[in-house]
Amino acid sequence: MTDLPDPFRAHRQKSGVLVCPFQGEPIPMILGYKELRRAAKDWETFSNDAPFRVPIPSEETVRSVRQLPIETDPPDHTEYRAITEPFFKRPLLPDVIARIQELVGRMVERALERDQIEVLSEFSLPLQAKALTILLDVPESEADIWVEWGVRVFSVGDAKADGTYLERYLAQRLDAAAASPGADFFSVLTQAEFRGRKLTREEQMGFANLAFAGGRHTVIHTVSTIIDYIAGHPEALGFLRADAKRIVPAVEEFVRIASPLTHIGRVCSKGGEVLGQQVPPGGRVALCWASANHDETIFEDPDSVKLDRMPNPHIGFGSGIHSCMGAAHARLLLRTLLATLCEKVGRIEPLDVQRHIEKEATYTRITGYDRLVAHFARRA
Amino acid sequence: MATITFITPSGESRTVEHADGSLMEAAVQNGVEGIDADCGGVCSCATCHVHVDPEWTDRVGPPGPAEQALLELQDGANERSRLACQVKINEALGGLIVRVAPR
Repeated sequence: MTDLPDPFRAHRQKSGVLVCPFQGEPIPMILGYKELRRAAKDWETFSNDAPFRVPIPSEETVRSVRQLPIETDPPDHTEYRAITEPFFKRPLLPDVIARIQELVGRMVERALERDQIEVLSEFSLPLQAKALTILLDVPESEADIWVEWGVRVFSVGDAKADGTYLERYLAQRLDAAAASPGADFFSVLTQAEFRGRKLTREEQMGFANLAFAGGRHTVIHTVSTIIDYIAGHPEALGFLRADAKRIVPAVEEFVRIASPLTHIGRVCSKGGEVLGQQVPPGGRVALCWASANHDETIFEDPDSVKLDRMPNPHIGFGSGIHSCMGAAHARLLLRTLLATLCEKVGRIEPLDVQRHIEKEATYTRITGYDRLVAHFARRA
Repeated sequence: MATITFITPSGESRTVEHADGSLMEAAVQNGVEGIDADCGGVCSCATCHVHVDPEWTDRVGPPGPAEQALLELQDGANERSRLACQVKINEALGGLIVRVAPR
């Protein structure tokens, strides 16, 4: 999985931009690290106040609510984010850390007991779902429902993944929480206030929608990337075991190299020129995380995995005011996964690896997996 | 090892004796308010931003290129800014005073 071709390198070095049409809209993708971070910080020029249009492709067909807090600008964004940010810091609590450790230990043990597993469906997806129950403080049995939805909770252009089941589920859980509030995420939403009033149901749905969509395929993809890397690099576990301090930088490196979200959109309300490309009023640009995380002016030998890469100023969790709220959760899960693999697993044998190809009009990126079968062997 | 004093955004002064490792590690191990260190010290998150007191900037030294790239767009950054995870403590830094940048 290392040394994959970087589909953005030539354009990044030549002009720093690649125009790609999505749903018929030509969108300049900002490719360079510094230019991307500058745009991510400048929310007045590159706005998020655009329901359904922050993701690319747009998501009008797969949800009916504006995702919160991401699809807003300050000052609304600042106040919306403050509502749920404390909940997303729960992975720093000792009891949450202990529950994640127990879960990961149990999942790795199950993998070790099998002759082989299909990693996406039998490891990464259930691990992501069960870990989310811990983050949201709901019963683990809820994960059984979420696993049924597949790797992507909704997917533009996929009639079977149109998001209606998610919205139906969220409405049911919010109804139940409103009737009998507890300490879980849904109850927090039904009790929360925004500028002296309760959140509307639409706002509650917007927060909940993002909590389910934002950290799903991204986490699944990164967990699978780690498994695939270790399968292909049997020496990696020994390297990490030799110094426990290597776990933290290794996780950051996997987040950089996976860059599971290729890009995200911003709306230029007034239009203008961006890196030599004209953007009409209301048109969009894309912040291409996958390119910026391979920018050779920032990262030495950017296409290689260096488990002890330091410094590693990657932006795999975004940059600026909209940086990933689930980062603490993802880091806890991934660090725990690596530590557990070091403790319990001797080697992982790859049996069938089929990479996912993200094919767009002007680039093709190898990212994630369509199928990943492996054998986990116990550490002697 | 060295004695390091952190001044938090709320004005509290925290002195850490026998500090070792990086400035960030010394701060986190001693619960210094405002040093979150989300990324664990790889220079990715900028949640360990400090301002070095003027008389110490020469001895602490300037940020490296990657750190500088991160600091350039950080709110409240100035010529005395460093990311605490990138400052290794040595005896020459004994008595160092840094102020945790507000966020």
